[in-house]
Amino acid sequence: MANGSTSSRGLAGTTLRIDLTTGEIKRSPTDEKLMREWFGGRGAIAKILYDEVPRDADPLGPENLFIICPGVMSGCFIPAGSKVEFGSVSPLTNGHGDSNMGGHLGPALKFAGYDMVILSGISPRPVYLFIDDDRVELRDASQYWGMGSLECEPVMKQDLGEDFEIATIGPAGENGVRFSCITHDFGRQAGRTGQGAVMGSKKLKAIAIRGSRGIVVHDLEKLTEHVTAIMKRTQTHPNMAPWQKYGTAFFIEWSNTNAVIPTRNFQTTYYENIEGISGEALVEKCLISHKACFGCWMNCGKYTKAVLPGKQTVYLEGPEYETGALCGSNLGMTDINQVAYLNWLMDNAGMDTMSGGGVVAFAMECFQRGLITADDLEGHTLNWGSVEDAEHFIDMVVHRRGTGDYFAGGTKRAAEKIGRGSEKFAMQVKGQEMSGYDGRYAPGMLLSYMTCDIGAHHNRSWTITVDMAEGRDTIEGRAKVVIYLQHIRSLFDIWCICRLFWGELDVEPEEIVEALKYITGWDVDTAEALVTSEKIWNLVRCHYLERNRANGRTFDYPPARSWEEKIPTGPSAGKGLTKDQIEAMLDEYYAGRGWDKNGNPSRAVLHDLNLDFAADNIEKIGLLGKPLSNGIPAVRGERYKPKAF
Amino acid sequence: MTIFLRAGGQLRAMLKPDIDHYTRKVEIDGEKTIGEILKDISLDPAYVALIYVDGVMKDLSFRPSDGQTITLQPPVSGG
Repeated sequence: MANGSTSSRGLAGTTLRIDLTTGEIKRSPTDEKLMREWFGGRGAIAKILYDEVPRDADPLGPENLFIICPGVMSGCFIPAGSKVEFGSVSPLTNGHGDSNMGGHLGPALKFAGYDMVILSGISPRPVYLFIDDDRVELRDASQYWGMGSLECEPVMKQDLGEDFEIATIGPAGENGVRFSCITHDFGRQAGRTGQGAVMGSKKLKAIAIRGSRGIVVHDLEKLTEHVTAIMKRTQTHPNMAPWQKYGTAFFIEWSNTNAVIPTRNFQTTYYENIEGISGEALVEKCLISHKACFGCWMNCGKYTKAVLPGKQTVYLEGPEYETGALCGSNLGMTDINQVAYLNWLMDNAGMDTMSGGGVVAFAMECFQRGLITADDLEGHTLNWGSVEDAEHFIDMVVHRRGTGDYFAGGTKRAAEKIGRGSEKFAMQVKGQEMSGYDGRYAPGMLLSYMTCDIGAHHNRSWTITVDMAEGRDTIEGRAKVVIYLQHIRSLFDIWCICRLFWGELDVEPEEIVEALKYITGWDVDTAEALVTSEKIWNLVRCHYLERNRANGRTFDYPPARSWEEKIPTGPSAGKGLTKDQIEAMLDEYYAGRGWDKNGNPSRAVLHDLNLDFAADNIEKIGLLGKPLSNGIPAVRGERYKPKAF
Repeated sequence: MTIFLRAGGQLRAMLKPDIDHYTRKVEIDGEKTIGEILKDISLDPAYVALIYVDGVMKDLSFRPSDGQTITLQPPVSGG
C-alpha cells in the first residue's frame, strides 16, 4: 500500500467486462461514482444486477450476469480484509443473489489491478478466467471439467504456479445443481444462492488470479496507526484464544443446550448424540492445523481430516458450525468423522453444505415418511445417520439421476414434485434452505429467515441471544432488532471484510468506518453507511418483486412446520409459534421498514433512499406499497440494547 | 480463594469487569463450580457458550483453583 494522490484511493482502478459467448474482454476505468454511492461489494453488485439483467432472464441463461467484486476495503490493511463478493440472479431463489468467501482471491484480484469483473453470455466450451496482472484471458478448461473442486485446485496450481489464487466449481455446478457453490483455498466457499450453478451455466470452471501490485490508500500513516491499535487490542481479547482453537464449531453444544439445533430435518431442536459431533470432538479427532484468511490474525479455519472405516481418508477445511449442525444433527450423524466426510464430499462436489445438508435432511424425512422409497433411490435406503445412504443420494443429486434431479433444484422445488404434504417440512424460505438454527422457539431468528433478502440465511441477522434476553415466548420488538441487524451485518458483505471482528472481538462499526475513511478519503460516517445498507436492502426487495410479480408478503412465509408443529423433545418441548404470531411479526417488520402490509415498499421510503426509479418500476407492475397513514419511520431499525445486558 | 473471570462480546457487559476492560476479580468461599460462581454473581450461564481454562474447554461443573483465570465465551453471532 502507498499514500495516494490519485482519485482511485482504495480502488484498483479498472473494471473488466467479459462476454463469454464471444470471448471479448473489455477494460474500463472503475466507476468511482458507483463505488462511492453503493460502497462496492454487495452494493455495487445489487445495482448492476438491477440495472442490467432483464426481469425475465433465466438465472442459468446467457442474459444473467456473474459479477466478482472484492469491494473497497478488501486487500487493504484492515482486520480480515479478505472477502470477495459474487453476485448474479439466483437460480435458487429467482431474485438478487450474492455470496462471499474469505481466503485470498479478492485481494489478489485487486492486486492484479481490478475492482470488478462482470461476466455475461455462455462460453461455447469450458473455460477458466486467467488473470496475471495485465494478462486477462479465457483459457480452455476441458482438462479440468468434471473434476471435483478440491481436486481441481491443486492441479491448477501445479499447472499455473503456487502463487495463483484459484476458485473452482465442482460437478454440481457444472450440472446445474441450483445450490452449487464456489470453492477456493481448499475449503473457503461462497456457498449460498447458487453462484456455482451460474458459473457452471456459463461453462466457467474456474478463476485463476495472480496480482503483484499494491493498493493506493488515502492516508497510510493514519490507517497503519489505527489498525495496529485494533490488532494489539484484539490479540489479547478473551475470545481470541478459544476462537483460534475451536473456530465456530465450539458452539454446537451450546445450540443444543439452548434448543435451537436443527435435528433430523428440523423435526426437533435437541440432539441426543451431540457429544460425538461437538467442537471438542472436532479438535480431538480431526484437527490437523489452524488456518487463516488474508489479513487475519484470528485463524478460525480448521484444516482437518476425516477417517472412516471403508472410506478413503480425506482432507478438508471444517466442519464449521453450520456444516456441523446441518450435516450433523440434522442428518442424525453421531461421529464428527461422518460429518467431516460429508463436508468433504459436498465441498468436492461443489455444493453448499448448508443447502446440501438441508436437502439431504429433507430427502431423509421423505424416506422416513414413505414419500420416497428405495424404488426412487436406485435400490438404496436413505436412513438417518447413514453416511453410505447420504453419499449415494448426494451422487444422485450431483449427477441429477432419477429423483436426484428433483432435489438438485433445492427443497422447495423437490417438494413441489413430491407433494403429499412434503412442502410443510421443506425447510426453506424463497427457495433457499434455512441455516443451522431452528426458529420455532427463537422468534427473531425465524423472522430473520423469513425476511432475509436472499432467502433463508442467518448471515444477515442472527438474534438467538436477543430472543433469550427479551423472552423466547414473546415476539414484540423483535422486528426492529432484525431490521437493524440486517443493515449492520450486510455492511460487512458490502465492504468485503470479515464480520467476526465486529461480532466476536468488539471492533466497533465506527472503527471500521474510520478505517474506510483512511483508505478511501471519503467523507463518510456510520449513519451514512447504515442508510446505504438500507438502500441496498430496498433495491434488492424491489428486484425480487419485479422478477416474481406478487406481493412481497406472499414470499416471506416459512414452511408450515414453523407454526403447525410444536417442538416435540428436549428443553423446549411443547414450545412453538402460532400463525398469528408469525403474521404479527411480519406486520411489525413491514411497518418498521416503511413498507405496506403487503410487504411492498412505499414510494415515500424509496424516495427517502433515492430509489425513485425503483418506485416507478414496481408501480408499473402494481406492486408499489400503499401510502402509509403515519408516514415512514424516521429510524428504520434500532441499535439493540437488550434488557439482560 | 480468588479467581479471575474474563469475557468479551455480549458477555462483557453482563460480567461487569473491574480489573481491566474484560476481567472481573471474584472472591469465593470454599470450593465451587463455575456454574455456582456464575449464579453467585447473577450471570445467567445460558449466555455462556464456552468455558476455557488454560487452553482447554471445560463445562459448568469445573471447580477452579485459587488464582486461576477462566475465560467465558458468548455464542457466535451466527456460525
